[in-house]
Amino acid sequence: MSWFSNIRGPRIGTKLMLLGVTLLLIPLFSYRQLIEMERLLIQGQSHAQLLTAEGISTLFNGRDDLFNDLPVASEDFESLFAQPLESAVRLDGDVQDWGDEDSLRQALSFNSGDASGDGSFELLLGERGGQLYVWLNVTDPDVVFRNTEYLRLDRSDHVRLSFIQADGEDGNVSLVFQEIGVVTAYLMDAEWQFAAAGTPDNRFQGHIEPNDTGWSMEFRLPLDALGSRRYFGISVVDVDDDQTREIIHNVQTLPTAGKESFNLVVLRSPQVRNIIEGLGYSGARILVIDAQKRVRAETGTHLIANEENGATESVDTLGEWFDTVRPYIHEAVTGESWVPPRSRPEESGATADQAIDSSLTGDPIALRRSVGDTFEIIMAAHPIVSRDEVIGTVVVEQNIDEILSFQRSALEQVILLSIVSLFAVFIALLGFAGRLAWRIRNLRREASAAIDQHGRLRTSTLRNEIKAGDELGDLARSVSNMLSKLHQHNQFLENMPRTLRHEINNPLNTLSTSLQNLAEENPEVRDSKYLESAKRGVIRIGSIVQNLADAANLEEALEAEELEVVDIQQLLANYIANCQQANSDVGFVFRGTQHPVYAMVSDFRIEQLLDKIIDNAIDFHRADSPITVQLNTHRSYLQITVANRGPVFAIDAQKSLFDSMVSHRGPQNRLHFGLGLYVVRIIAEYHGGFVRAMNLTDGSGVAIVVQLPLADAPSNVSSSHAVAN
Amino acid sequence: MAKHIAIVEDDPDQRANYRDAITMKGYDVAAYGSREEAMEGIEGQMPDLVILDIILGDEVDAGFQLCRELLTKSPSLPVIFLTERINEIDKISGLRLGAWDYLPKPISLDYLAERISSLLRINEVRSENPEEESPTARHIGELTLDQEALLASWKGERIDLSGTEFRMLAKLVRMPGHAVSYETLMNATMQSLVTNNTINTHMRNIRKKFEKVDGEFACIKSEYGFGYRWSE
Repeated sequence: MSWFSNIRGPRIGTKLMLLGVTLLLIPLFSYRQLIEMERLLIQGQSHAQLLTAEGISTLFNGRDDLFNDLPVASEDFESLFAQPLESAVRLDGDVQDWGDEDSLRQALSFNSGDASGDGSFELLLGERGGQLYVWLNVTDPDVVFRNTEYLRLDRSDHVRLSFIQADGEDGNVSLVFQEIGVVTAYLMDAEWQFAAAGTPDNRFQGHIEPNDTGWSMEFRLPLDALGSRRYFGISVVDVDDDQTREIIHNVQTLPTAGKESFNLVVLRSPQVRNIIEGLGYSGARILVIDAQKRVRAETGTHLIANEENGATESVDTLGEWFDTVRPYIHEAVTGESWVPPRSRPEESGATADQAIDSSLTGDPIALRRSVGDTFEIIMAAHPIVSRDEVIGTVVVEQNIDEILSFQRSALEQVILLSIVSLFAVFIALLGFAGRLAWRIRNLRREASAAIDQHGRLRTSTLRNEIKAGDELGDLARSVSNMLSKLHQHNQFLENMPRTLRHEINNPLNTLSTSLQNLAEENPEVRDSKYLESAKRGVIRIGSIVQNLADAANLEEALEAEELEVVDIQQLLANYIANCQQANSDVGFVFRGTQHPVYAMVSDFRIEQLLDKIIDNAIDFHRADSPITVQLNTHRSYLQITVANRGPVFAIDAQKSLFDSMVSHRGPQNRLHFGLGLYVVRIIAEYHGGFVRAMNLTDGSGVAIVVQLPLADAPSNVSSSHAVAN
Repeated sequence: MAKHIAIVEDDPDQRANYRDAITMKGYDVAAYGSREEAMEGIEGQMPDLVILDIILGDEVDAGFQLCRELLTKSPSLPVIFLTERINEIDKISGLRLGAWDYLPKPISLDYLAERISSLLRINEVRSENPEEESPTARHIGELTLDQEALLASWKGERIDLSGTEFRMLAKLVRMPGHAVSYETLMNATMQSLVTNNTINTHMRNIRKKFEKVDGEFACIKSEYGFGYRWSE
């Protein structure tokens, strides 16, 4: 597990960034909430619509009469559905103003049985403002107009209407035309040959227009003329020969022979319509459908006037962008793949039929479906009941685009705001983290610079962040406080040897002088060995205190030294020669340079440095092996290497070797305080150099290496105080 | 008539020890514990020699101050400082207070007695023939050393050396051209605790005093790792 403990946490900036990422939860939850909200709104809407449908249906509950104005079973009759016309129709033979193409496709076709299709026609019925509108398109290459010379009205192409009048009498009307344009209607006799009255019937108005395949006719008649039962039939009579004027085809909408000779014009029940008319509201369509699934009344439209068109364009780019990212967001948030509302499988019209079916069996139902590609609706159907029987259903359709677009714009806003706020928070965090890291780095740099590599204090206070009010300021203040306390303590330690010497020297001096006076006073103890050992003890304590104080004062004392340019080569040669004399039992090998090596030094401090190193080498060298002193010069520094064979340094000792009061000599060397190599380091560093200890590569011994910067040759070499060899 | 010696030392035990030891040598001793006390006592009777501790009570430089005041009154008064540190030796040399000698603690009473007697004698010699060169004077090249009067001169110019410095110089020039070891020089200081650094400090001070008179002076050579050598 050691690798685990080596892992360090991320940096502050990274941590803050990671924290910032948690802000992503806000849009995540918002999205979920919005989806939930949409569901709730739609559910509420469905429920409300169902209630509306139920409310409307209760209006019709028990009102069989409203539904029973039509024969319940229509097998005896062929129904002709009259569609409600959205707009006013001009009687000009042109079907264009009848509405959209869908409604035109509902035209009924009637075939003459002729192979050429001569006499066949298409029929459309419409209803608007109490008028029944009829459009006919007849295939007839030879149009025969009425010739007024003939009294009979069946001697030209014409259209026959048969119906039952409001008074219950049969009504026969022929629509004839003398030329292109106005159509004239005449009440006819039972044989359809002569007009029953001399004047045209003005309730019927129409227009004829020829076309490529024949002619088309538009006409209208008041619904009142048909009576309440609205039995109605149309036949197109085709005359092709201008001369004989015989009837070639008589194509009827009437049922097959033997049946009643009327069709049934099925209309929205006006009464039902009157009831629901006031209930319509924006974006909602209400349908009343009878048990035969015939639409009996309809009001409202689910088209919403789209007055926001202009407004939506401005957010188009955002909207487009939103449309691109929404599937990913949806999938990321809900884990389901995104299905755009327009392409949901339950869109087909079948579901609407199923809903009506289901409703007609007695179960209220509400469902969501889309109409074409343009909008989505909620459809609620509630049955109308009379005497435990379902007699119809009320369908309420409500456009939910409002809800969806509300949800969409809310989503867009949430996401936009999230992105903006995330960005802002990220920038803020980045700045904050950067500043924090910068401050901490500064503080760390300053704090670590306050203590040098040997653990000495360089400064007693910090300057950075001291005035900051936050925790970093607290940290800086407490570190600064620590430093100043450490500084005090250090000063105490630094002064201690001096104080100690002063404090010890005085009683020591008392002791020493007392001993001398004692010996003077009592000649008989003068030669006592105890007196001698007491004196030695005094000397010993004195020298210990002196050494300690000297080492402690070394740096201060060095400051007072005057440096001069000295030939190190000469100094070393002189020194080694004298060393050899003083220690005749130790062999010294000096490898110097052939030329003078100048350095800016205090000569007797260098001598002191050499004393300590050579002392050390003599103490540790293996008998019969020489101590090698070598002087090299490099580009900008000189290097003195003192090597001896003997025990090597332990790895961990090499660093602390030059620290104060560190001795690796072992307990038997009581006179050494580990000050020697400390003195070496202080002197070397004072001269701008450094010292290091190393083991010889072959492991046979050790070397102390001192490097000092070189100096230019002095102008007056003779000023050197050294003896020329 | 017994010479009158004043001792200023704040520690009563040491003061008593000095007084006893010096009295035993036949001097008339007056011991004081503080600067004020000393000034008062000395005011009445000017001593022949003063022994001063540098630190008196809380006053770190009281000894120097006292010395300055006494020397303004009696410029030829011999003064012996009892010091604690090498840098105090520097201070004594540097301040040029005219102190005649100094002795680091712990003190050897024998050395102290020796210094007292030698200083008194020298003072006597100097006062007898202030300008004349003593017949005991010795010439080593340009250097003249008068052991009796503790006077040194270089190229005829007087070099103002302290007692310790004079003794070291005398040792160094005893055999010109020969190296003198640190050990020999240590003995010459007549002090109990001496290190190479002490010798080096003294030697540097002596050199400086010569160089002040003669910028070209280079007779004192370092014999690194051994000692010093006088060579012209």
